[in-house]
Amino acid sequence: MSYMGLIYSYSDKENLRELTSTRALAALSIGGKYRIIDFVLSNFVNSGIFEVSVIARTNYHSLIEHLGSGAEWDMSRKRGGLRVLTPFANKEATDSAHIYRGTIDALSNHLHSIKKSMAEFVVLTGSRILYTMDYRDMIRAHQDTGADVTVAYTNHMNGTNRVPQGSPMIHMDEEKQIREVEIVNEEQEEREGSWCIGVCVIRKTLLESLIADAMSHQRYDLYTDILQKLSPALKVYGYEYSGHLLEISTISTYMEANKAMLDPEFSAKVFQKTVYTKVKDSVPARYGPECYVENSMIADGCQIMGTVINSVISRGVHIDKGAIVKDSIIMQDTEIMDHAVVEHSILDKDVIIRDGREVIGHPSYPIVLSKMSIV
Amino acid sequence: MSFIKKKDMVAMLLAGGQGSRLGVLTKDVAKPAVPFGGKYRIIDFPLSNCINSDIDTIGVLTQYQPMELNAYIGNGQPWDLDRMYGGARILPPYVRGKEGEWYKGTANAIYQNIPYLEQYSPNYVIILSGDHVYKMNYRWMLDHHIKKDADCTIAVIEVPIEEASRFGVMNTNENLRITEFEEKPAEPKSNLASMGVYIFNWPTLKEYLIRDEEDPKSSKDFGKNVIPAMLTDSKRLYAYKYLGYWKDVGTIESLWEANMDLLKEKVSLELYDPRWKIYARNGNLPPQYIGRHANMKESHVSEGCSIEGTVENSIIFPNVTIKKGAVVRHSVVMSSTTVEENAEVHYAIIAEGVTIGEGAGIGTELDEAAIPAISVVADRVSISSGTRIEAGTVVDRDL
Repeated sequence: MSYMGLIYSYSDKENLRELTSTRALAALSIGGKYRIIDFVLSNFVNSGIFEVSVIARTNYHSLIEHLGSGAEWDMSRKRGGLRVLTPFANKEATDSAHIYRGTIDALSNHLHSIKKSMAEFVVLTGSRILYTMDYRDMIRAHQDTGADVTVAYTNHMNGTNRVPQGSPMIHMDEEKQIREVEIVNEEQEEREGSWCIGVCVIRKTLLESLIADAMSHQRYDLYTDILQKLSPALKVYGYEYSGHLLEISTISTYMEANKAMLDPEFSAKVFQKTVYTKVKDSVPARYGPECYVENSMIADGCQIMGTVINSVISRGVHIDKGAIVKDSIIMQDTEIMDHAVVEHSILDKDVIIRDGREVIGHPSYPIVLSKMSIV
Repeated sequence: MSFIKKKDMVAMLLAGGQGSRLGVLTKDVAKPAVPFGGKYRIIDFPLSNCINSDIDTIGVLTQYQPMELNAYIGNGQPWDLDRMYGGARILPPYVRGKEGEWYKGTANAIYQNIPYLEQYSPNYVIILSGDHVYKMNYRWMLDHHIKKDADCTIAVIEVPIEEASRFGVMNTNENLRITEFEEKPAEPKSNLASMGVYIFNWPTLKEYLIRDEEDPKSSKDFGKNVIPAMLTDSKRLYAYKYLGYWKDVGTIESLWEANMDLLKEKVSLELYDPRWKIYARNGNLPPQYIGRHANMKESHVSEGCSIEGTVENSIIFPNVTIKKGAVVRHSVVMSSTTVEENAEVHYAIIAEGVTIGEGAGIGTELDEAAIPAISVVADRVSISSGTRIEAGTVVDRDL
């Protein structure tokens, strides 16, 4: 039995402002030293799946640079391994968002590569919702029920009833066969029921024929055009996931996801299995004589001379004497100089905050500074 | 092999040393595998120096407790030494015909690996040891070797004359040509100590190794036999003065000191150097978490740590837990150790996987001027709650 993974490295349902204007969602930094793709790929590694294709859409440079040969995820393999599927030029596409007309169109674009694989089953996943799952359990359930498609769902987001905007809700019978797929697009945060976390398992040959069929009918979206329309004809089953979740679709959910990792109990769940990432060979973090650090995550290569509270600090960040960083996310190699103040903000890579400057956002609307900004 | 891929210079890294003066810290590992500086092992320094000096072919000669070292080096990937031609290669002693043969001395170890070196038909061979912490560009030394038209160049460092008798000592003329070499002399005539880094012209070295092997009285050592023999024959031996930081971390005190040197405001061994990174095998751990009651001062802390207590002037390796109310001062705490609530650690080296129970205490606070007695706790030792351990104690079993 062999499996392959397909990862969507982008999402139409995210609005992360400047953070994803120059990079794919999957290449966004999270948890101090990781990129979103690290969590997605590590699920495959930890499930013993070493053939994974990452579907890229636009601005995939940083994604490709991060992934390299895949060796750091143990995916530089002769058999299988990691592949990045970049889009072919499409004359009809009027703008970058229309390079693929939908999730199915994206697969159709790369059908040749998918067909070449010798895998029997495909695990499809997005990058907007992060979870820790051993796919082997889900595949086993898929085989036990004899389903055509198995879709992972959950009934709660870390104990709350919040449903991420745009996540399909499903209605199942007692056998867990999905009878109805409902797409909720209006902003409705709290809702009881089961919703999809963006993972499904399907036999590869069936996926290939579904793609061909959908394309001939100009149906481009997996959930609305295939699962919703074909759920009476196909045997689509639900598979419950009840573990922790991280949602990265807006600035505030991104902030929340990072801060969730500051809770030792929650982070123990997130890191219960190894999360692999690119090695940077940075030195251990250094703490100065007058620093103060409280409830924060600090990555390697940082120099902390000032104050850091309730924050997530990526690799190689310098926080100089007298500087204060509170309730913020600071990405790689950013420098916050003497006596500067940063609160409720997200500072992208290589930002410089000069002496004494203040960058203060509001909990409900954090300030986002894009790559290489200088204040 | 059907064809030869020639290499200009090949490194031979002598990593078989026991490091017996490190006591419990080298009970199960060779000295080069001893952890240093928060995330490194001693051998990371010569390996990183090689790759940073564009030397991509390194034979690593192991003998004493090689298991951990072999696993650590693996295919050499962390140092970018997984190469199609060359790369890092572990060279253990092996059996020939009916005889098993250990490496009988430093020169014999290279002698036994002549076939490995011949594969690359190098012009030069650089001999390194896995016992020292330093950053050095071996290319500069090779340039010096070529400029002097030397048969052998020995890297030297100036040491206080009263300490010189611990080293191989060189006497040179004004052109740095070596006139005399004494291994650990009782009364040293010079303060130029050998760093154990030699560059040889390979054909010359090969000839001397074969000759030395045939001499039954020889102890098969570079310092005692090969170098003196070359001097007797008036070969061109030159010293290369190294001016940077170099430390033999061969004793508990020097290992502790070298770690503390990293914490000084003006560090003599700067590891934060993007152009001369020290590479190490990586543990894939999440970033460190500094909790709500932590108190951090002048310390280096590595990935995967969880700190709720006080950490001052210390080097903390990956995956260490320091709980609420615990105090760690002037100490080196190695991987996966736990310091329980209200425990205290002063002036100590705590090895890997140790548990220091609630309220236990090691050593005492001293004023800055005092010369501390360093305590050592061996790996996987468990110290039960409330136990007091005097400064300078070596703990090698559960207490």
